[in-house]
Amino acid sequence: MMELLQFSLCFLGFNCFALAKFNHFRDVFKKKLTEKQRHSFLMSGWITILLSLLLSVLNDGGYGALLFCGYMALSVVMLMILYSFTVSWVKYVSVLTMSVLLLSGFSVMIL
Amino acid sequence: MKESFFRSMAWLHTWVGLLVCWLLFLIFFAGTISFFKDEVTIWAEPETHHVKQQVQRVQSQAEQINYVFAQLQHQAPNSLSWRINLPEPRNPILSYGYAEPKQPGQRRAPFNYTHLDPNTLEQLPAPRDTKGGNFFYRLHFDLHYIDVFTARIIVCLASLFMLVALVTGIVIHKRIFKDMFSFRANKGSRSWLDAHNVSSVLALPFHIMITYTGIITLIFMLFPYPAETVYEDGLKQMFEEALPINKRAKPSEEQRPLIAINDVLDQIYTKSPNADISYVFVRNANTATSQIVVYLATGKDVVDNGPRYLFNGVTGELEASSGEDWSASAQFYDSMTALHSGRLAEPLLRWLYFFCGVAGCAMIATGCIMWAKRLRERLKADQKPSFGLKLVETLNLATLMGLPFATAAFFIANRLLPLELAERADKEILVFFLAWLAMLIIAVSGREKHHWRYSAWLNAIACFLVPVVNALTTDGNWITYLLTKQWALFGIDSAFICAGLLFLLQSKKIPSHKTVINKAKSNKNRLLKEQQG
Repeated sequence: MMELLQFSLCFLGFNCFALAKFNHFRDVFKKKLTEKQRHSFLMSGWITILLSLLLSVLNDGGYGALLFCGYMALSVVMLMILYSFTVSWVKYVSVLTMSVLLLSGFSVMIL
Repeated sequence: MKESFFRSMAWLHTWVGLLVCWLLFLIFFAGTISFFKDEVTIWAEPETHHVKQQVQRVQSQAEQINYVFAQLQHQAPNSLSWRINLPEPRNPILSYGYAEPKQPGQRRAPFNYTHLDPNTLEQLPAPRDTKGGNFFYRLHFDLHYIDVFTARIIVCLASLFMLVALVTGIVIHKRIFKDMFSFRANKGSRSWLDAHNVSSVLALPFHIMITYTGIITLIFMLFPYPAETVYEDGLKQMFEEALPINKRAKPSEEQRPLIAINDVLDQIYTKSPNADISYVFVRNANTATSQIVVYLATGKDVVDNGPRYLFNGVTGELEASSGEDWSASAQFYDSMTALHSGRLAEPLLRWLYFFCGVAGCAMIATGCIMWAKRLRERLKADQKPSFGLKLVETLNLATLMGLPFATAAFFIANRLLPLELAERADKEILVFFLAWLAMLIIAVSGREKHHWRYSAWLNAIACFLVPVVNALTTDGNWITYLLTKQWALFGIDSAFICAGLLFLLQSKKIPSHKTVINKAKSNKNRLLKEQQG
């Protein structure tokens, strides 16, 4: 569950970075991205990605840093496919990621 | 020097990449498969597929070592070398072997191995003669059919070129963050550039790490001069001082009984109560200079060598240990090797390594294709392609489509070659290179779109044949592996099915010869009509 939490945080972070770009935001929400929204997405992206790195390193040390590099690669390729070929799914995938993040977070806390 | 820094870097990136891209593709491709070296070897030896992973693996190790010691004392009491490989999470087999006397002309003494089922300690049938995953592992830095030293120098130079290409690539990719998630399909060379950028950027830390650490693993071969200056005996002395447990005692004529192995194991378990032992080596057994070396598993530490202990084989006294009191530089070198080899990786990280390796292959492949495609697009209607362009296109087709084809052929040969064939392992490798040669012949005959299409078809057929041939020639198949949770076997069959589907998709995406001609005709007709209208 810890690995799932780390990955979902990383994926969500890169998703925020993608949504902070004007073209991707317009493709997903069909409206213009405001400067305030861009800053919010960038801030959220940095926080979640750093949280993912922190959890990976705290949990597994150097091994965790290696895992984090892998999570980044997997997140970017999944988002590239989503935004390039199935942009209409982005909203649903974002909701799904949030749900997985919450569930894995609760599981880690309980276990 | 070009007129600007950016253009100089772009020029360097193009030429440094193009010069060695096919060799780099081979290194990355074979290296990526090597992340599953043990799993490929297990797949290649179906005689041991029925062996199940032990539930209490670590707890059974002392009993297994005692049993094997008794066997070795009976089978080869005076051998110069014994080796016990204990079951690991990736390999459930218990195996042991002893060195036979070296024959004149032999560089190393041949080893006689026995394989056991660790659950019952019953002897398993001898596996077929195959190199398995070790072939791909060696191929990615020793190449094949050429001298090992020359091969390693060539591989190191190619890696150095790769490192330069990576750094210059970062410099010239202006929109590295802006275009991070962008891929524009069906846009000619723009799409290839996007694919090249995405595959490079998504695993950039991995690409830099694997290239840099690859050079570091061979650094003492490339740059032995500091060690040769400081140490009288050069590298040999340096390694002996850094790793005293590697210092081999000279064989002795004086016979002395080997200490009971439990005395050694007690010392290990006192130091580390949950010790997970990987290997036990015995040198000069039953003589006055006998030595026992015990290797422990690394766990999740980023080190290539776990703790190792050297005991006197007669008295049982601990003579040396390593991995605990290393200098910072020794630890750095070991960590670099660990990062490169990925031996420390558990299944999740191993798959992530594999995925990043595939991204590396895609990065190199798209780079090769893009160069040829751009030059092709710049050709005028009446202009013939140059020799250089034709050479690059031939090598692209032969390498990018040939290597997967040859790999599938290697796996099929493993199942279809007769078991009693002399030098069978070498014959499997020969099939690999013959299949690659066949693809080269196709590439020499033509490099048009339909040649790529036929090659994709051939690759798809070869990939789908691997699980089919496996199912027909062994007791298991893709479904039974899933039901019995034999993940290594299931993973390899699944990888071939996925590769087959990707090649099928590729063949569908490449327009057929007729479609290209019809499209050209309809375009011509449309232009004529427009002119007439």
